[in-house]
Parts: sequence; structure tokens; C-alpha cells
Amino acid sequence: MKRLNRWLVGLVWIGTSAMHAQGLLDELNAVTEAPTLPVRATFKDTRIVNVQSNETPAEGVLHFVIAHRFGTLSSGAYDLWGLDNAQMRMAFDYGITDGLAVGVARNTYQKTYEANVKARLLRQKTGPEAFPLSVTWYSVAMANGSRVAPESTPYPFTRRLSYVHQAVVARKMSERWSLALVPSFVHRNFVQESGEAHDLALLGVGGRCKLAPRFSVNGEYHHFLTQSFGDAFSPSLSLGVDIETGGHVFQLHITNARGMFERSFLAEPAGSWANGDLYFGFNLSRVFTVKS
Amino acid sequence: MKNSIFDALLVLLFVGFASDAGAQQFMTREGHVHFFSSTPIEDIEADNRQMSGLLDALTGEFAFQVQMRAFHFEKALMEEHFNESYVESEAFPKATFTGRIVSWERIPNDGQRHDVVAEGEFDIHGVTQPQRIEGTVQWMDGAWKLKANFEATLADHNIVIPTVVKDNISPIIAIDVEAQLLPR
Repeated sequence: MKRLNRWLVGLVWIGTSAMHAQGLLDELNAVTEAPTLPVRATFKDTRIVNVQSNETPAEGVLHFVIAHRFGTLSSGAYDLWGLDNAQMRMAFDYGITDGLAVGVARNTYQKTYEANVKARLLRQKTGPEAFPLSVTWYSVAMANGSRVAPESTPYPFTRRLSYVHQAVVARKMSERWSLALVPSFVHRNFVQESGEAHDLALLGVGGRCKLAPRFSVNGEYHHFLTQSFGDAFSPSLSLGVDIETGGHVFQLHITNARGMFERSFLAEPAGSWANGDLYFGFNLSRVFTVKS
Repeated sequence: MKNSIFDALLVLLFVGFASDAGAQQFMTREGHVHFFSSTPIEDIEADNRQMSGLLDALTGEFAFQVQMRAFHFEKALMEEHFNESYVESEAFPKATFTGRIVSWERIPNDGQRHDVVAEGEFDIHGVTQPQRIEGTVQWMDGAWKLKANFEATLADHNIVIPTVVKDNISPIIAIDVEAQLLPR
């Protein structure tokens, strides 16, 4: 009889404890709501290919990018398909807060200097107070540093300046897919040809497909909403991959834009995809936690 | 003889109704989980103060869970990598530990700290492993205080460390848990 009792108790224990633990977890799930959390890593880097993504460097983080843009692939074997004509962009972006960053950069192309500010206005969130989109503002002022010939020609500094303002409206659709719409406004104080527009509006679309935890394929296209003149420039179209290793992100891409700053790749993409006037680009970004 | 039948019935009764006895459940929503990975090159640690948990004070059974995305790291990039590349928190948003405190019925609520062993199933990154955790429980101010530290092996839960960062991340992670569970 005693044996039977033990057996009975044992049976009940086995039957209920497995059920119970699961039951407790179900109960726990029923009474705890998932917290509201910001969606992170919509894109791996602060750029999609050329254009800004919605990401900003975190507070106290210095984001250093060395970008290379080589000559046209169509230039052939003599120039090693453009590798002999490397141009550089060196950029430092610093996160003042998690949603506000400032940066400076210097480009080989037209010896251009940049100063920029990037601010997160809205952030995509999940949970009880979910929000579907991230909106990040980006403004950059660019100064052409090239010497003018002849030196005696009057050339006021303001002529060297151009500005771009953008809103990056991004959404992480899923772990794999992220999309961004980027309306841009370009203003050039000085244009090369008379009749060329000083102001341009564009609508860009960019996205990424994350194929592995540390690897994604990115693309972007910028459509002219207003024309500069005629069809002098084909719209900017770029494709690339992001490869992440620890604190670095490597970006490899092909684009028809020669310059790596906004005015150049938005308003003046040099090459045509159809003619193979494409440039190979290679960016290396590294983050340093300056202040923790 | 009669006594033992009575005992059996009593146990049956308790076990059967345990989950319905609301007052017998203790709960937290703000338990603290801290983990630590130490290598000669780099120490990585993170905190999560939103662990939720239920303890059945009759049976000693429990369930705890944390949202992976609520872990906070010193460096933002660590947090991003943790979620994106290691625990893949989009696909596996939670870690859970369910089980039972061994010999719970022998633990007095006398205000003293008592060493206990919890046995159960530890689920992280979608891989469940049996886990035995040593810790302490203490009845204090109308609440059960639970403390434990244990180690989890990343490979057991199918969390892969790429070769390039293999010197930065320890294959075994030390985890500390602390919670105060109040009557529900």
C-alpha cells in the first residue's frame, strides 16, 4: 500500500511538473507585455552605399571611414580596370548623443571639404508603443578646395559652396529586408554652365538584403524630380555589399558616381551603367568608443 | 497506513491546485540578469533589469524569462552585434529558464539565506538544454529573494563565435541572476 502511494504521488509529480513549468511560462507570458524597444541595425553602417542610412553613431562613438573610389571599370587592363585612379574620402563622424552626430570629411575629388550634421527625428519601435518608421535628417555643406586658374581671377569663397539636405525615411521590414526613401534637396552656389539649375530635388530609394548575420547586399537609386538641364547626367545607381567583422564594416560597391560626397553623387553622377562607365568603391569603417 | 494515504491525498491536492492558488504565486518583472565574458583581450558584460519570473511557492516550480533586446552593453556596437549576429534576437527574442527548486518544501521562510539547487530547462537562441543552478533563496519582507550564478556554454546553444573574434569572446559565459518575487 505504501508503495502504491509513493507510486501515485510520483506519477502525479511527473505528470504535473512538466505541465506546470510550461504552464507557469504561459502564465508569465500572459501577464508580462513585451517592452517597447527601438529597432536597431536597420542598416549596418551610417551609409547604404553612397547615401546616408538612418543610422547614426552611438553617443560617444567616433566613426571613422576611409572610402576609396577607383577609376572606371571600362578603362581596361592598363589602368587595372580603374584601380590606378584611386580617390579617397576620409571622414570622422562623432555621436554627441544617440540621435545627434556631427562630422567632417575631406575628399580627393575636387579637394572637397565637408561639414555635416545628422539627427534622428523618429525611431522605429516594437512593443506596446510601436512605431513603424525611422526618420533621420542629414544636412551637409561642401566646399570645393581646388585652385582656380588663372589665380588672379576673382573667385569668392561662397562660389565654392554647395549644400544638401535630406530626410532618410527608413523601415526595417524584417530581419532580412530594410528599405529607405531619401528625398534630397541640392543647392549649388555656383554651376559650371549657364542655364544649369542651382537647385535640384531628388527622390532616392535604397535597401538592403541581409543574407547572413554579417553580410548584406545593398542598393540605391536617386531619381531626378527636377532636371539640371537636358540629360547631361544619368541618375545615380549603386550596388554593393556590406561585410562586418568585429568593429569594422567593409563596403564594396559599384556605382556610376565619381564623387563620394552628396552634391557629386546626387547631382553629377558621371558615368552611365549602359556604357560600363562604372566605378569600383571600397569603404572601410571603424568605430572608436571615445566616451563610455 | 491511514496517514500515508492522507499524505498522498494532501500532496495530490496541492499539486493539482497549485497553479490555481493565486496567493501562492510570487512574481517579479524587474529581476536583474548580468552576464560576463572575460578574455585576456576584452571583457564584455551586459545587464538586463527586466527579467520577469513566476515562482509557485507550494511546489517550488518557477519560470523566468528575459527579452534579449533589453540587454544593455557598455558599447552600442556590442549590443548591436549581440542581437544581430550572436543570439539573433529577432528570431529568438527570449531566453527562458523553467524548472523546480529541489527540495523546496524543506526550505523554511525564516529570514535566513538558504543554499538551493534549481533544476530545469534553459532555453536561449532557440536551443534548450538541461541546466542545474546553485543559488540561494531567502524569505524577507514578504518576498522571496533569489540569487544565483551559473555558466552557460555558447556552443551548447548553437551560438557561433567567428574565428576573427574568437580571442575577444569567451566560449563560456558567466551569468548572475537576482530577483525579488512578491506575492501576486
